[in-house]
Amino acid sequence: MTKPTDLVQGTLDLLILKTIALEPMHGWAIAQRIRFVSNNVLQVNQGALYPALHRLEQQCWIQAEWGESENNRRAKFYSLTKAGKKYLDREEANWERLSIAIGLVLKTAQG
Amino acid sequence: MRWTHKLSLRVRSLFGQSAVDQALDEELRFHLEREITAKIASGVPPEEARSAAMREFGGMEQIREECRDMRSVNWIQDFFQDLRFGMRVLVKSPRFTLVAILTLALGIGANTAIFSLVDGALMRALPVSDPQNLMLLKWTAHGKSKHLSTSSYGDCQENRDASTNGGCSFSEPLFHEIQSQAIFSDLAAFAGGGGLALTGNGSASIVDSAQYVSGGYFQTLGVRPSSGRLISSADDTQSAAPVALLSYAFWKSAFGASPSAVGKTIFLNRVPFTIIGIAEPRFDALSPGNQTQMWLPLSSQMRIELPWDNRDGNSNFWWLVMVGRTKPGISRGQAQAAVNALFVNAALHGAKPVFNVEDKPAVSLVPAQAGLTGFTAEIATPIYLLMMAVAVVLLITCANVAGLLLSRAAARQKEMAVRFALGARRGRILRQLLTESVMLSIAGGALGLLFAGWIMTMISAVVATEDGLAGAYALSPGLDARVLLFTAAVSIFTGILFGLAPALRGMRVDLTPALKEAVGNFPPGRPIGRWFSVGNALVVAQVVLTVVVLAGAGLLVRSLQNLRSVDPGFDTRNILTFNIDPTSAGYRRAEVDGFDQDLQNRLAAIPGVTSVSYSWVPLLGRGLWTTGFDLPGKPKDETNEADMLTVGLDFFHTVGIPLRQGREFNASDLAVAAKDAEAQAAQSERVAASVKTGTKGLAEQNNNEAANLQPVPVVVNEALIRKYFPQTNPIGIRFGASVATDADPGSSPGWQVVGVVGDAKYNNLRREIAPTIYAPFTGQGAYFSLRTAANPSSIIPQIRSIVAELDGNLPVDRIKTETQQIEAQLITERLIARLSTFFGLLALLLSCIGLYGLLAYEVARRTREIGIRIALGANSSSVLRLVVGQALALTLAGAAIGIGAALGVTRFLNSLLYGVKPADPLTFIAVAFVLAAVALLACYIPARRAMKVDPMVALRYE
Repeated sequence: MTKPTDLVQGTLDLLILKTIALEPMHGWAIAQRIRFVSNNVLQVNQGALYPALHRLEQQCWIQAEWGESENNRRAKFYSLTKAGKKYLDREEANWERLSIAIGLVLKTAQG
Repeated sequence: MRWTHKLSLRVRSLFGQSAVDQALDEELRFHLEREITAKIASGVPPEEARSAAMREFGGMEQIREECRDMRSVNWIQDFFQDLRFGMRVLVKSPRFTLVAILTLALGIGANTAIFSLVDGALMRALPVSDPQNLMLLKWTAHGKSKHLSTSSYGDCQENRDASTNGGCSFSEPLFHEIQSQAIFSDLAAFAGGGGLALTGNGSASIVDSAQYVSGGYFQTLGVRPSSGRLISSADDTQSAAPVALLSYAFWKSAFGASPSAVGKTIFLNRVPFTIIGIAEPRFDALSPGNQTQMWLPLSSQMRIELPWDNRDGNSNFWWLVMVGRTKPGISRGQAQAAVNALFVNAALHGAKPVFNVEDKPAVSLVPAQAGLTGFTAEIATPIYLLMMAVAVVLLITCANVAGLLLSRAAARQKEMAVRFALGARRGRILRQLLTESVMLSIAGGALGLLFAGWIMTMISAVVATEDGLAGAYALSPGLDARVLLFTAAVSIFTGILFGLAPALRGMRVDLTPALKEAVGNFPPGRPIGRWFSVGNALVVAQVVLTVVVLAGAGLLVRSLQNLRSVDPGFDTRNILTFNIDPTSAGYRRAEVDGFDQDLQNRLAAIPGVTSVSYSWVPLLGRGLWTTGFDLPGKPKDETNEADMLTVGLDFFHTVGIPLRQGREFNASDLAVAAKDAEAQAAQSERVAASVKTGTKGLAEQNNNEAANLQPVPVVVNEALIRKYFPQTNPIGIRFGASVATDADPGSSPGWQVVGVVGDAKYNNLRREIAPTIYAPFTGQGAYFSLRTAANPSSIIPQIRSIVAELDGNLPVDRIKTETQQIEAQLITERLIARLSTFFGLLALLLSCIGLYGLLAYEVARRTREIGIRIALGANSSSVLRLVVGQALALTLAGAAIGIGAALGVTRFLNSLLYGVKPADPLTFIAVAFVLAAVALLACYIPARRAMKVDPMVALRYE
């Protein structure tokens, strides 16, 4: 089994923002969703997740609200703010450009 | 919008601290439970699921901490946490805390007190509005002036050497000329004055310090009255009714703060003046220390002082100080150029040019704040010296407390290790330790304020005399904002300074051994043979600094002793002096002499008075009169100089100056002098008249008169004989005659020596005894000297009643014993000797504590080693050597470096020393001995403890 990939901070932010862009989610669900969608490649550690959530909240890119969880417990749901949406779009575009560029370099080097 | 949200988030996380933490806990708990539920759902047994989830989750506290960090308000919380924790730590070791705070209180308190002196005496803003825009006019020239008389009252620094000639007094015509030009929007001129007899307000008294001011003075300065009105331009004309403005302090002391003082008529030298107002309290002196009791219009000066110097309208009498504010749109440079042109023109091309072109006379405009130094110039050096001494004491304090902290840091290694092991970051621990040390120093600073108050009382006690420089040594009123700010800044700075090294040291922890050590055990010592350690270095530094302070103090004390024991050439015991000035009550010259002789006879009849005489100024009373004169057969350029003092009958016998040859003055000598003075006065009136009418041939007439006059009989001192007439029998020698010329119509028949007396100090104990001419006294206010058989102060009431019998309008002023006169003169010396001794002893005490602390710690740390040594057969003397050896080695190293450093530093004391060299071996040896003795004292207790170490107990430690 491969080691859980160490996520650089900016990447984790991007993943979190993208994940909650669909609907408000609590912390556990965010971690599950990222793992599930990435086919178990990306495992987000709680120790990284919660500080990241708090930081993003402090930056006003996400906001938190207490709500009822799927198993009827009180849970803190995070959702994207307007500023967060803008930031996500910008970062997504950046990531797109970067990965294409890296892909190009790798392919060219191969061929 | 966004930032308000951010702000509210921060405020919430700061003040809703516990709510936010609870929410975080709940969030994390939810996550954990959800994980467990998910694991159970996937088929893992509940117990196993739980522990696996917990394991994966990792350190709850760490996540919590990081989340807090993310909320970025942590440092404020941390700060309060540090404060709480620091408080707990300090309270836990009360003895250490107490010693540290007391030490710091001494160091910071001493600095606060001296800063209060610096602030009060040297750093005060001029008591005027907008002081930075007020300019002072100063002149300089590179050559000797001609045909120039000047008068000044210590408002700015002056130098009348040919090479650095300069000052800030100007002639009245120049003032009017500058005033008429469009340079200054406001320009004021003023001159000092005083010794005015004040009558019409209870018993007669003397106004010591009055200031004559031009009409625009108060408008220029922007001073307000506290009641009544100020002097205005309308008051400063020859035809205006004479008015006077009182200072707030004088109004309180002389008029009992009576509201009816304003509007009252008083008499100054018998001329009526109406009091028009009281100045605001803060305006007591324009130039620092130059306290003024009363302001009078410039135009009134001629009415109340004798017109002996003909200064009004005279371009060759410079006596007015000028301050002004330039017109809007005119720069300082432009104004200076314009004023300079007027000044140079007057100085080079006046009726009697004062300077030559090559003297390069020039005027500059300087900020009045910097230029009007007043008395501060004289006291700045001693005050800065004290400031340096207390700064050194503060450094010793820092080294001392740093040493204490260092030994504690060693004892706290385990605590640090635990905190590191629990994941604390270095920066966080550094901050915690610095918070602790700054807390200590702030507590020390607060306590130091009490100590400062005590030192300030000591300073006030020394300067609590009424004359001389006492007025210049001003303390800040109470503990004002600036002083408190200074103390706070010094405290924080000190805290960081002494806390940094031990804190950095405390962070260098090797985790494993530190954690393994038993509780309460000391860390292992340094390898044997390594002498350098921070603790040792700190003790050596303290000793070095102590030597510097002690050596300085020793030299200053020896100077004071030398000054006190210097032989002034007369008997200073049991002499009482007082001032009386019949001319201020309208007596004419001839009448004054009769009055003085009458009073002399009456005072001599008081029981217990053995002898009475009088002179122009009292001996050692700061007043000095020097004169240039010609010798027979030498060029007539008056380049020979001597001190001059006019004295009454029986003067030398009264003060105790021994007569060596010839005789004292007799009544006919006084008569000759009176006749001569009469002729001089008549002549100067004629000169004044001739300046106005342009009469020629005056010189010839004067020469005829001089030939008719007898030479004035004088008594000279031995120094004068040694310098000018070494070979001959001095009795009967004539000298000092001058012949009038058209350029200088003053002529004089000169002097004839009738007696020679021993050398005696004149004005100042420090000054070498100069050639001195004593001439017969005539026609002025005099200082009487009474020699008594017992305590001279007891006859003061009799003196007052005898003077009142003669003339009720004559105030008796400045009553003082000769001893008081000398003590007042030594005010600076006494102040710095006392304070520097005090600081020296303080430094000694502190470094003694520092040494003791280090030794006690070393002995405790090496208890096991000492125990082993004793078990192996070491006797108590070798154990003693262990401790005492270290103490002596450190002290000697410190003393050696310290003496080197002190030799470098004490050179700067030179101007304050008297009769002792900056490298005085006796002082330095004494300092070294005192240090060695104190060092031995400091190691007494640790050495005894070391010798009493029980090897069994020590070995059982493990």
